[in-house]
Amino acid sequence: MTAKSWIKVVAVTAMLQTVACGERAPQEREREDRADDLLRVITVNYPLAYFAESILGDKGNVSFPAPADVDPAYWSPEPADITTYQQADLILLNGAGYAAWVANVTLPRSRLVDTTAAVADQLIPIESDVTHTHGPTGDHSHGGTAFTTWLDFDLAVAQAAAVADAIVAVRPSHEAEFRAALDGLAADLEALDADLMAVAEALGDQTVVFSHPVYQYLERRYNLQAISVHWEPDELPEEAQWRELQSVLQRHPAKIMIWEAEPLGETRRRLTEFGVQSVVFSPGGNRPETGDWLDVMKAGIASLRSQ
Amino acid sequence: MNGVLYLAWRYLAYNRWKTTILVGSIMLIIYLPVGLNVVVEQSGQHLNARAQATPLLVGAKGSPLELSLNSLYFSLDTPELTTYAEATSIIETGLAEAIPMYVRFRSRAQPIVATSFEYFGFRGLELAEGRMPALLGETVLGAAAAEDLGVGVGDAVVSSPETAFDLAGIYPLKMNVVGVLAPNFTSDDNAIFVDVKTAWIIEGLGHGHEDLANPDASSAVLNRTADNIVANASLVQFNEITEDNIDSFHFHGSLDGYPLTGVIAVPHDDKSGVILMGRYLDSEANKQIVRPRDVVEELLDTILTIQQFIVAAVFIVAVATIATAALVFLLSLRLRRREIDTIGKIGGGRWHVASMLLAEIIIVLLMGGTLAAGLTALTWQYGSAIVEGVVMS
Repeated sequence: MTAKSWIKVVAVTAMLQTVACGERAPQEREREDRADDLLRVITVNYPLAYFAESILGDKGNVSFPAPADVDPAYWSPEPADITTYQQADLILLNGAGYAAWVANVTLPRSRLVDTTAAVADQLIPIESDVTHTHGPTGDHSHGGTAFTTWLDFDLAVAQAAAVADAIVAVRPSHEAEFRAALDGLAADLEALDADLMAVAEALGDQTVVFSHPVYQYLERRYNLQAISVHWEPDELPEEAQWRELQSVLQRHPAKIMIWEAEPLGETRRRLTEFGVQSVVFSPGGNRPETGDWLDVMKAGIASLRSQ
Repeated sequence: MNGVLYLAWRYLAYNRWKTTILVGSIMLIIYLPVGLNVVVEQSGQHLNARAQATPLLVGAKGSPLELSLNSLYFSLDTPELTTYAEATSIIETGLAEAIPMYVRFRSRAQPIVATSFEYFGFRGLELAEGRMPALLGETVLGAAAAEDLGVGVGDAVVSSPETAFDLAGIYPLKMNVVGVLAPNFTSDDNAIFVDVKTAWIIEGLGHGHEDLANPDASSAVLNRTADNIVANASLVQFNEITEDNIDSFHFHGSLDGYPLTGVIAVPHDDKSGVILMGRYLDSEANKQIVRPRDVVEELLDTILTIQQFIVAAVFIVAVATIATAALVFLLSLRLRRREIDTIGKIGGGRWHVASMLLAEIIIVLLMGGTLAAGLTALTWQYGSAIVEGVVMS
C-alpha cells in the first residue's frame, strides 16, 4: 500500500481539522460585569435612555451616543459608535422602524430589546406612495411605520415596562428596586397622559396643524383633528408651502400649529397673520440642553394648554 | 566488541542498498500503524473538542453529519436549509441562546461563515488587530485565512460565484476587512466571518440600488405609474457596500424567511437543553436537533472500525515483510560463506561471527525504529496539516 493510499484512508478525519496543535477549550460568552457591577445600557433615542435611567438609578450606566444636534431617528452611527453598542449589556431599540441603521449593522441579537414588540399591533403603518419592481422578488415598497411611539403616553408606559423587564432579566437580584422605580415612572407617564387628555378635550374639534408628520401617536391617542405639513422650524417656508397651508386652512380651519422646535420669528409672525399660533411640543427624541425628557413633555403640554 | 560492531557497520555501509531497503521496510511496518493511530487520535481529539463545545445544533431534516460538519468545520457540503425563523423560535422558547449559521459561500478556498455577533464570544475568538464587523459588508478573518489570502485590515476580499458558469447568477460582493482574529487552532482560523445579512446580500436576497424615484435613475426605469415603478435590467445593484450606499441596502419581506444552514443552540442549563431537545423530537415538522458530540462519536466509531481493519492488514503485511527480511538474511549467509570462512581463518570464532550478524540485525532494527519514531513525531506535529494540504490540493 502506497503512502498516497494511506493519505486517502485518513483523509476522512484529516479534512475535518485544521492544524495539529491543541484546541483551546471554547468558552461560552459571559457578559462581563465590571467590578462595580454596573449594567451597561445603550439606547437609540433619549426617551428610552430616560426610561432606563429612571429604572436603573445607580445600578447601571445608560448611554445614548447620538450627537445632540441630530435627529436620532435618522442618525447614522460611525463604526466606533457601533462598537460601543456591541459592548453594552442591553441595547434598547424603539422598534417601529425607528433608527433604520439598526438593520444594516452587526449587533448582538441576544442583547437587543425591541421595546414596542409587545405593542406591535398598536403601531401605525405608513403606506408608501410608490412600489417598485425589479428582479424576481416582485412588487415591494419601502413604506414604514410611524415611530414616535412615546408620544402616546400609554405606549410609553408599555415601552418603560419592556425596559424594566429586560433589566430585571439580566439583574434579577435587584428586581424589587427596578419594579418600584418602574411604578414611579409609570405614574409620571400616566399623569402626563391625563394632562394631555384634558388639554385635548379642551381643544375639542379644533383642527391643529403639525409642522412635521411625527405626531401620529399623539393624534391618535388624544383624538386630535390634525393635518401634517413638512415644515422645518429653522427654515423659512417657501411661498409654495404658504399657499399649500392657505389651501389646507380653507378646508380645515386651524388656529394652532405644533412645532418640534421653536420656529423662526418671521415664520411665527406670518403664521399669526393667518390666525395660527405656534406651539412648541418637542417629541424629545434627543437629550435637551436643560432638564430631562419629562420636563420636555410637561413643557409641550403646558404650551398646548396655554392656547 | 568494538571490532564486531565495526565489522557489522562496515558490512551494512558497504551493502547500502540492501541496508536501505531493510531499514525502510522495518520503518514502514512500525510507522504505519503507529502514525495512523496518531492521526486518528488527534483527529478524534479535535473533532471531539469542538463537538463537545457545541451543545446543540438545529437544522432542516436531513443528514445530521452534514449539518454538524458544515456548522462546526465549515465543510463544503451544504445541508438542507432552514430559516432564520428557527433562530427566532429558539430564542422565544427562553431555553437557549441561538446563533445562526449560514456556511454556503467561499472566497477562493476560504469558507465565508455568516453568523451573529454572539459567535465570537461563544467560541472565545479574540481580535489580533482591528475591530469586529460593525456594518453590512464588513468582515473579520481567521488568522490562517488572512495569511493564506495575503490580506489584512483595510484590504478587501471578494466572494466567489457558486459556479463558474453561472453568468446570470449572483454578483461577487466586495467585503472590507476590518479585523483579523488571533489564532485559536480550529476551523475558525480558516474562516471569513460576516454577518448573516451580508451573506444574504451575497446571495442576492438583500440588495442596494439607486433610488428609482430619483430622476437620475430614469434610464433604469422600464415602466412608471403613479404608484408603481418597474425597473429594467440596467438597474445597477451595488456590489460593494460603502458609507455612501449602505442606506440603500434593504431586504424584502420578513428576515424570518431567509435561509440558514443551521442554528447553534446554547441552552441556559442542562435542563433547558433536554426540554429543547424534547420539543424537537416531538415535532413532526421538517427540522432536526442534534447533539454534535453524538454525531462525531458515531463518525469516530466508523473511522475506528476502518482503522482496525487497516491495522489488521498492516499486521499481515508486517509478518510477510519480516519473513521476507529473514529469508533475505538467511540467503545472504550463503552468499557470505567465504567472508565468514575468512573471519575464521584470521582467528574469529563462532561467537564473533554470531555477534557480528546479531549486531547487523540490531543496527537495522534500531535504524528502522529510530526513523519510525522520527516520522511519528513529525506526524504528531505536522501530519494533519500535511494531509489537509494534500486533500485541499
